[in-house]
Amino acid sequence: MQGRFQPACKNARLAGVLLLCLWLAGCASTPQLAETTKQAIPRQATIEDVPFHSQRDYQCGPASLAMVLNHGEVDVSMESLIPQVFIPGREGSVQPEMLATVRRHGRIPFVLDNSFDALLTEIAAGHPVVVMQNLSLPTWPMWHYAVAIGYDLDAEEMTLHSGEEAERIESFRRFDATWARSERWAFIALPPGELPSGVGEQRALQAIAGYEGVQGAEATLPAWEAFVERFPDSGMGYFALGNARYAAGEAADAIEAFQSAVERRDDLGAAWLNLGLLLQARGEDGEARRALSRAAEMPGPWQEKATQALAQR
Amino acid sequence: MKTLRRFLSPLLILALVLGSVSVSAAPLPASELVSTQAAISAERADADRERINEILSRAEVQDQLVAQGVDLAEVEARVAALSDEEAREMAEQLDQLPAGASVVGALVLIFLVLLVTDILGLTNVFPFTR
Repeated sequence: MQGRFQPACKNARLAGVLLLCLWLAGCASTPQLAETTKQAIPRQATIEDVPFHSQRDYQCGPASLAMVLNHGEVDVSMESLIPQVFIPGREGSVQPEMLATVRRHGRIPFVLDNSFDALLTEIAAGHPVVVMQNLSLPTWPMWHYAVAIGYDLDAEEMTLHSGEEAERIESFRRFDATWARSERWAFIALPPGELPSGVGEQRALQAIAGYEGVQGAEATLPAWEAFVERFPDSGMGYFALGNARYAAGEAADAIEAFQSAVERRDDLGAAWLNLGLLLQARGEDGEARRALSRAAEMPGPWQEKATQALAQR
Repeated sequence: MKTLRRFLSPLLILALVLGSVSVSAAPLPASELVSTQAAISAERADADRERINEILSRAEVQDQLVAQGVDLAEVEARVAALSDEEAREMAEQLDQLPAGASVVGALVLIFLVLLVTDILGLTNVFPFTR
């Protein structure tokens, strides 16, 4: 019985595979850019000075990291990155650890917003982009990290440092077909104080807060300064700036930042509390009392601490 | 891991409870400010439960990485560099996360299919098809 059914099964599988190919061929197409992006970026761009590291075995993750970090003037070798990011049991490197390793080397990883527009915009801004591709089909994945360093809108071609090949040219269509399989995952690594061109407020806030959790508030100060310049209405941004200034020993500037935070977000209890505590430490009791009372009014995790601080005077 | 978890969970809960008790008993120095990370995570619901999960997640990620052959001397620093969200993601689905490696187990049928898709410009497995 089984012998009789097997060939039919095989044929069906083959037919399915062929259908899948046709379907995929119908789907894959040259990615389209928004008009605003086309206006904003040059027709061609290549970042010239990205060093190339040829990957060994399965080390496309460490190699890609070494390229973007070296381009950002971080002096680190591919060999020293391997034990920091490679997982022997998986014979590869996973996305969260790629980002974590960037943090360890004093750069902030910003994941881009999964669009071709964002990718080309960052390249045009001179930021090499680490992209994750599945070079094969979803059923037999062949995951791969490469560094996108250039594009040409007229030739419809990308330039990548990929695998063992520097400045590899790939058509937009083929590149996007392989990149789309990672849901167009890509990131850039920037020093604190620089932000991606088109980053959204929440995305930037999370990226910088993640960096601060690893490197500490003082090291993150330039990033928060840049953040509130880009997003001047963000109460949480000014709150974070206040903490970073305080960590850097600038108490008076920290107070100013906390005041900006509560002006923008009256409901931010943590900012009222920190403002009150700093004013209290400086002996400005009236102002401190006003801020702490405001924090004590708000139900939430800071209420208790604010009430205690009020009781101290 | 299961048994470790069984022991660790009550211990952690106890530690967190004791932690908050001692905070409310002793008056804080005025300089101890609310950190940015604490404020951001408090904006989300279930902040406390998340904190417990987070500590467990990080322990679990360490175990998993060691089991996958990562050097013991490196594993702590690697896990410390993850953001809270990434640690959770790793703990929940390290096995499913794609690992960039660029190899494929190629059987003959797969080879042929990939050859065709390479020529169609859908994939990029074989360097000679460009």
